[in-house]
Amino acid sequence: MLHCALQTEPMAAAVSPAAALALGLLAVALAAACAWPRKGLVARWQAGRRGARRVRAEDALKHLCKARFDGLTPTLESLAGAMAVSLNRAAETLDELQRGGFATLAPEGPRLTPDGERYALSIIRAHRLWEQHLAEHTGVAESEWHRRAERQEHFITPQQADSLAAGLGHPTHDPHGDPIPDPERGYVSGAGQPLTRLQPGHWVRISHIEDEPEQVYAQIRAMGLYPGTLVRVIENDAQKVRVWCGGEEQVLAPVVAANITAVSVPEAAETEPPGTMVLSQVPLDRSARVVRLSPRCRGAERRRLMDLGILPGTVIGSEMESPAGQLRAYRVRHALVALRTEQAALIQVAPLESAAGTPRSGEPSLHEPVPA
Amino acid sequence: MNPAPSSKAAKVLSQAQSLRWELGAQFHEKLVESIYADAARLADRAVTRPDGPPRFDLDRSIDRLVTSRLWGVPLMILLFALVFWITIVGANVPSRLLGSLLIDQVYPWLRDTALQAGVPWWLRGLFIDGIYLATAWVVSVMLPPMAIFFPLFTFLEDFGYLPRVAFNLDNVFRKAGAHGKQALTMMMGFGCNAAGITATRIIDSPRERLIAMITNNFALCNGRWPTQILIASLFIGALAPSYLAGLVSAMAVVGVALLGVGLSLAASWALSRSVLRGEVSAFSLELPPYRPPRLGQIIYTSLIDRTMYVLWRALVFAAPAGAVIWLVSNITINGFSLAEYIVTFLDPLGLFIGLNGVILLAYIIAIPANEIVVPTVLMLTVLTARVAGVGSGAGIMFELDNEADTMAVFRAGGWTLLTGVNLMLFSLIHNPCSTTLYTIYKESGSLKWTAIAALLPLALGFVVCFFVAQVWRLFVPA
Repeated sequence: MLHCALQTEPMAAAVSPAAALALGLLAVALAAACAWPRKGLVARWQAGRRGARRVRAEDALKHLCKARFDGLTPTLESLAGAMAVSLNRAAETLDELQRGGFATLAPEGPRLTPDGERYALSIIRAHRLWEQHLAEHTGVAESEWHRRAERQEHFITPQQADSLAAGLGHPTHDPHGDPIPDPERGYVSGAGQPLTRLQPGHWVRISHIEDEPEQVYAQIRAMGLYPGTLVRVIENDAQKVRVWCGGEEQVLAPVVAANITAVSVPEAAETEPPGTMVLSQVPLDRSARVVRLSPRCRGAERRRLMDLGILPGTVIGSEMESPAGQLRAYRVRHALVALRTEQAALIQVAPLESAAGTPRSGEPSLHEPVPA
Repeated sequence: MNPAPSSKAAKVLSQAQSLRWELGAQFHEKLVESIYADAARLADRAVTRPDGPPRFDLDRSIDRLVTSRLWGVPLMILLFALVFWITIVGANVPSRLLGSLLIDQVYPWLRDTALQAGVPWWLRGLFIDGIYLATAWVVSVMLPPMAIFFPLFTFLEDFGYLPRVAFNLDNVFRKAGAHGKQALTMMMGFGCNAAGITATRIIDSPRERLIAMITNNFALCNGRWPTQILIASLFIGALAPSYLAGLVSAMAVVGVALLGVGLSLAASWALSRSVLRGEVSAFSLELPPYRPPRLGQIIYTSLIDRTMYVLWRALVFAAPAGAVIWLVSNITINGFSLAEYIVTFLDPLGLFIGLNGVILLAYIIAIPANEIVVPTVLMLTVLTARVAGVGSGAGIMFELDNEADTMAVFRAGGWTLLTGVNLMLFSLIHNPCSTTLYTIYKESGSLKWTAIAALLPLALGFVVCFFVAQVWRLFVPA
C-alpha cells in the first residue's frame, strides 16, 4: 500500500473528535463574528473608516452648514453630538477646520467661511444624490439609504457627483424630500411646515421626512407616510396628530409628527376620490380604479407595475388569493397578474360600486383618466 | 474658439437648471405616466375583443380548483409525484438498453478493433477507455431521464399550470427573500441543474434571478440520484431488516432531496440578506390563460432546446474528464500511479471529514458530470486498494451489477457507514458540475456570481461533512 510507502498517518486517528468539534465550532463562531452584517468585524472596520480625520472634518462642516440653514446656532456640544465623538475630539476637529480656513470661531459659536460652506454643500449634495441613486437604481432597503450615504458621501468627488446627477436625470430632491443643493443655486430650503402646525380638515402633501433619528423615521415609514404622500389632517392637538392616509387612519405622537414637513394642497379636497384605499384592501371579486401609484414605489418596481398597465384610470379586479395568502391575482387589462400584498399596498385605488367580478366583459371602458 | 455661443449655451443651461426647480420633483414621473397612458389609449382604441368571454369560465374554475386552499397543494404534490415516478420508472429500461449497447457492446468492439489495428496501448486507453467510456456513461445515464422528464415538464408549462404552482408556493419563497417562480426552476433542477439555471430566465427581477441561479445546485439533479440510491441501499438499507430495506433506503434518498430543498431556501434567505441585498428587485407573476398543449412545440422545446442542449454541453465537458481520469490512473512514477499519489495526499483531509481521498479525487476529476462519480470512485478504489480481480484495469471506469460485489470493493477501500452517509451529503452539497457553472456564467455574465455559486455549496459541503463526522465519532465509537 502506498500509505505505508509514504509513511503517512490518517489525521482522523490523530485528532480527537471532541477537540475537532470544539475547534470547528470556534471557527464557525469566528467566521460569523467577522462577517455578521452590521455587527461583525468587517462591518465595524468599515464603520471605523468613518473615524478618519477627513471624514470627521467633513461631518463637522455638514453639521455647521445644516445648523446655519435651519436657523440654529451650532455649539461645540451640538457638534460633538452630531459627530458622535467626545468634546475633545470635536474641539480638535474644529481647530483643524479653523486652520484650514473653513470655519471661524465667532463669539456666538463656530461659523462657516464661504469656502467651508462650498465644501459642506458638496458633501450634502453627494449624500443626497447617493440616496437618490440607491432609491432609483438599486434594491437596497429604504432603512439603509441614509446609513450607506453617510459612508459614501466622503468618497464622491464633485465631478463624480455631477455625473451621478446626470445619470439620475438631474433630480431636485432626494428620496426623503430634501432638496439637493447644486453648485449654482447653493442650498435650497425645503417648502412646507411641520405637520404639527397644520389645521385639521386640510389636505396636505408630505414634502419632507427627517431621516434622523432612525427609530422615529422607521416608525413614520411603517405608517406608510412618504414624501409625496397626500394625507388629510383629522385632528391636531398637543396629545396627538391624527391623519387619514391611503385608506387608513394613522395616529402620531406630536414629537413624531414634528419630523414631518408638509405643504397644504387645498384642491385635493375636490379631486381626491372619496374612499380611496390601497389595492390590497379591495375585497376579492370586487373592482377598483387606480388613482395613483404610491410615491414610495420607485425605480424598477414602479416601471414594472406601469409595464403591466397599472396606471391612473386602469380598472383592476381582485380575483383570487393564493392558499397561504400574501399573494393575490388581479385582472389587469384582460390579463391575470399576481401581486404580493406589500406591492398591492403601493397602488392607491378608488373602489367601484358594482360587484364587478368580471371586468373582462362588464366594464365598457378600461381607461378613463381621473381628473388630475 | 468663439466665446459668444458657449456663453449663450451656458445661459440656456443655467436657465434650464433653474426651471427644473419650478417643474417640481415629479415631472419625470408625470412624463412617463402620460406616455404609458397614451399607449394604453391607443391600444384600447385599436384592439377589439369579442363580447362574450369564451372559455373564460373554464379558466376560472380550473384556477379556483388548482389554487384552492384545500386542493391546491395536494394536487400539486400528486402531479409532481406522478411526473417523477414516470421519469424514474420510464428511464430504467432505455437507460439499461443504452448502457448495454454503448458500454457492453460498442466498447468491447472498439477495443478489439483498435487492438487488431495495432493502435498503441496509450492511444487506445486515452481515447477508448478514457474519452469514449466517460461520454458513453454520461449519455446512457443522463439521456433517458431527461428525455422523459423535460417533455412532461414542458407539457405542464405549455398547458399553463406551472405559473399556478409558483402562485401557490410564493409565500414560502417570499419568506426566503426569493421569487415564487424559483419553485419551478428548482423543479427543473431535479431534472438537470444546467437546465434549471437556463430556466431562471422566467424570473425577471434581477435579485431573485441571481438567488435562483446560485441555489439551484441544491436541487438534487438526475445525475446524482443514482449515487444516492446506490449508497442508500448499500449502507442505510442494510441497517434495516431485509423486508424494510427498500423502503428505508428510498426514505433516505427522499430525505436527502428534501434536505436539498431546505438548504436551497436557507441559502436564498441568507443570500438575499447579505451579498445580494443591494440588487434590484421587482416582483411580478403573470398567470397566462390555459390552453390546449401543442405537442409539436412541446417536443421541440423539451428535446431540442433542453435535452440536446444540455447533453451537448455535458459531452463537451465529459470527454476531457474521461481523458484526465485515464491519465491520472495510468501515468506512473516509481511504480505508483498519479492517482495513488493524489489519493494519499487527500486521504488525511478526506478521512478527517468522514470521506476519503478517493472520493475527493473522484469529485475533482468528475467535476464535468456527476454521473461518472460512482464509476470513478469504484475504479479508483480498486486501483488504490489493489483489489484483485475486479474491474477491467487502471483508468477504466466500471459499475458492478451485484450490490454485494460493490460493497466488497467499498469495504476493501475502508468504507464505513459514516463514509456512506457523508458521501450522500457531499453528493448533495458540493460545487455544481462544470456544465452548470458554465451555464451560470453565461446567464449571469459575471465571474463573481459564478464563483459564489461554486464556492458556497463546496464550503458548506465540507462544513456539513466535518460536523457530521465529529459528532458521529463522538457518539458512535468505532
